[in-house]
Amino acid sequence: MGGVDVGGPKGKRKSLDSEINMIPMIDLLMVTISFLLITAVWTHMARINADAQVPGPPRPDTEQVKQEPEKQLHVMMQSEEKFVLVWKQGNQTVDSIDVPRKDVVIQEGATQVIRFPDLAAKIESEWKAKGQHSNPADKKLDQAILHTDNKTEFKYLIGVIDAVYQTHREQMIGSKVDKVSAFNVTFAVN
Amino acid sequence: MPIKTPGRRLMAHVGLEFVQKKVSGGGHRSTNASLSLTSMIDFLVVTVVFLLMTFSASGETPIARGLTLPKAENTMDMIDAPMVAIVGSQLLVDGAPAGNTRAVEEADRLQRIDELFNILKAKRELWKQMHPGKDFPGVVVLQIDQNIKAIVVKSVFQTSAFAGFPNVSFMCNSIPKSPGG
Repeated sequence: MGGVDVGGPKGKRKSLDSEINMIPMIDLLMVTISFLLITAVWTHMARINADAQVPGPPRPDTEQVKQEPEKQLHVMMQSEEKFVLVWKQGNQTVDSIDVPRKDVVIQEGATQVIRFPDLAAKIESEWKAKGQHSNPADKKLDQAILHTDNKTEFKYLIGVIDAVYQTHREQMIGSKVDKVSAFNVTFAVN
Repeated sequence: MPIKTPGRRLMAHVGLEFVQKKVSGGGHRSTNASLSLTSMIDFLVVTVVFLLMTFSASGETPIARGLTLPKAENTMDMIDAPMVAIVGSQLLVDGAPAGNTRAVEEADRLQRIDELFNILKAKRELWKQMHPGKDFPGVVVLQIDQNIKAIVVKSVFQTSAFAGFPNVSFMCNSIPKSPGG
C-alpha cells in the first residue's frame, strides 16, 4: 500500500494519514490507457479549399460601380512536359510563363504523394511580382484558376492546388496578423 | 540441543529452506524479479496524461470505405459540413446513396449530376428553414479517391456549386510542412 503521511496532532481523533490502494489504482490506470489507445485517432484529417466563384444575389438597393477586371493566374496542366502560368486581366493575356513539369512522387503506403516544388516556387515568385492583394488589411485574395484535362487523376490536381497554396501572405484577422494562402483556387469549366 | 526459531515448513518434518534457497538464488542469479512501483506508476500516469491530451471527444471524421485520400501540406482544419463521397462510381451524401458518376465517365464531358443536385438542394433548403435569417455558409466537403479522374471531380464540384454549395473543400490527409515550404 502506498501512503501519505501529512502529520498532525496525535490523539484519538481520526488519523490524518491516508492510504491509496495501489492495486485498484494500477488497474484504473491500465483500463484508462487501454480505452484511450483504442479510441485514439492517429491520422489527422484536413481539407484543402476551392471556391466555385458564384456571384452573390443581386442587390437592387446598392448602386453598382463598374470595376476593372482583376488579374488572375491561370495554371494550365494539360501538358505532360510543362505547366503554363498565364496572367489574364479579363480576356487580355498579360503574361505567359512556361514551367517545366517535374513530378516528385513519394510513395507512402498505399498513397502516392505528388509534389510540384518547382511550380510552387515559380508561383510564389510570380505572385510577389504581379500579385494584387498583398496588403495585410486587404481581405481579398488573388485568384488562381486551374485548367486540366479530363483524364488527370485527382492526386495530381491536389498536388497542383497544394503548390498554389504554398504561397502565403499576411492578413489582418481581427486585431492580429496571420499567415494565409495568397491565392484562392477554382477550376476552369472547359 | 539449542532452541531454534521454526522457519517456514511444508509439513511438520519437511522444512521449506530448500524452496527459499531456490527462490533467493542459492548462489545463482535470483529467479525473483522486482518491479519498481514508483517508476511504473510514473510511466502509467505520463502515458494517461499524453493520451488524454491527444484525445478527441468529437470522434473521427467518417471516411467512406475503400477510399484512399490524397495527401497535402497546405491544408486547413476540418469543419462540420455535408460530406459527399465518391466510392468507385457511387456517390454518397453523408453516407446515403446520391446517384453515380457512370454517365459522366461515359460521356467524358462536364455535366450536372441530377440526383446529387436534388439531395444537396434539399439539404440547403432544410438548413435555411432551421436557421431563418442567417447566411447559408454553402460549404461542402468532398471525399474523393486519389485515382478518380478530373472530369468526375469537376462534375461533382460544379453540381455542388449549382446546388448552392460554392465553397467546396477536398478532404485530404495532412502531412507535415517540408522545411523549405
